[in-house]
Amino acid sequence: MKVQELVTVVPWTFIAQILNLFLQAFLIKKFLFKPIREVLAKRRAMADAEITDAEKAKQEAIAMKTEYEENMAQARSRANEIVSNAQKNASAQSEEILKEANRQAAAIKVKAENDIAQEKKKAVNEIKNEIGSLAMDIAGKVIEREISEDDHRKLIDEYIGNVGEEL
Amino acid sequence: MNIDITGAKIFYTFPFKFPVLGQFSITETLVVSWLVMLLITGLCIFLTRNLKVTEISTRQAIAEFLVETADNFVIGNMGEKFRYMIPFVSALFVTSVVSNLISLVGLRSPTADLSTEAAWAVVVFIMITHQKIKANGVGGYLLGFTSPIAVMTPFNILSEIATPISMACRHFGNILSGVVINALIYAALAVASSALLGLLPGAIGAVLSKIPILDVGIPAVLSVYFDWFSGVMQAFIFCMLTTMYIANAAEPG
Repeated sequence: MKVQELVTVVPWTFIAQILNLFLQAFLIKKFLFKPIREVLAKRRAMADAEITDAEKAKQEAIAMKTEYEENMAQARSRANEIVSNAQKNASAQSEEILKEANRQAAAIKVKAENDIAQEKKKAVNEIKNEIGSLAMDIAGKVIEREISEDDHRKLIDEYIGNVGEEL
Repeated sequence: MNIDITGAKIFYTFPFKFPVLGQFSITETLVVSWLVMLLITGLCIFLTRNLKVTEISTRQAIAEFLVETADNFVIGNMGEKFRYMIPFVSALFVTSVVSNLISLVGLRSPTADLSTEAAWAVVVFIMITHQKIKANGVGGYLLGFTSPIAVMTPFNILSEIATPISMACRHFGNILSGVVINALIYAALAVASSALLGLLPGAIGAVLSKIPILDVGIPAVLSVYFDWFSGVMQAFIFCMLTTMYIANAAEPG
């Protein structure tokens, strides 16, 4: 078999090796760099998307937190309002109740006084009648004569009138 | 004991003759080059099978590591604007490494043929000149030879031409020295083992001295330097010089 010289540049080999080198560059680009770069780009896009999502979620969480805090503050002020309203109502009500009670007590007192006065009047009248007839009996017995009923009555009334005034 | 160190074998020569270029021959260099290309392309396809975005396989991790290393090397040495050079420099490096190391399986390295390195160096030289003309214009490029003074012109032209020649010969010389030293060592060890085992008495010595026992193992130790270290180193140096020269050429002045 023929061999070429140890140190020589063969034109056709030279040209073929240039073509081989560029072909190899193309093949490496097509079969190694392109697919790997695509995957790397996809991964980067995924990581970016995840970071964006995380940021969005964080913002949402912050928004929710502020909303929650607002709600809490509102609720607290509302609760305070309710409590103060209740306190106001309660004091108003108690005042009302006290007033009502006082009024009722006064009414009861008035009624009682009226009742007492009436009873007293009744009692006085009864006593007046009792004393009248008693006096008439006694007087009849004392003078043994029957003075006219009318005169008598007039006398007694006069007397009782004086007594009643003294009573 | 004859040691015969020759160039690449010529398998087939096409009968017709081209002007200037001569006859086209299928040489050992070309066949092994195509084998190297097949190996590299096959490896690329193997590494990029079943690519996934998450939970990547070891293969994909290796492929991504290679791509990132190539990116870092080229962009680190040449800058972001030479991003398009990444496949070329990668191809140069990986072809060189695999060509150098393929001698380990007993094939003749395509890089043990000066035609290969000359082809690469001329491509790089054309790229360097292209960048220089792009940066300075044709006039600026030609004027550059007269700097710092006109007397220096012949030396400048000489140094310009020396660039590809030195690149090609540096790589070729290192690989060829490996080939030569390997051949010498194999031959020397065969002689040594035949002499050593010939000392044994009778038929045993006669039989054993025919077998070059010392050729087993010992050359492998030497190939750590001559094939592995030198092979990877020369590929790295060649690519380093390529990126440096092209990046320098792109700067005006």
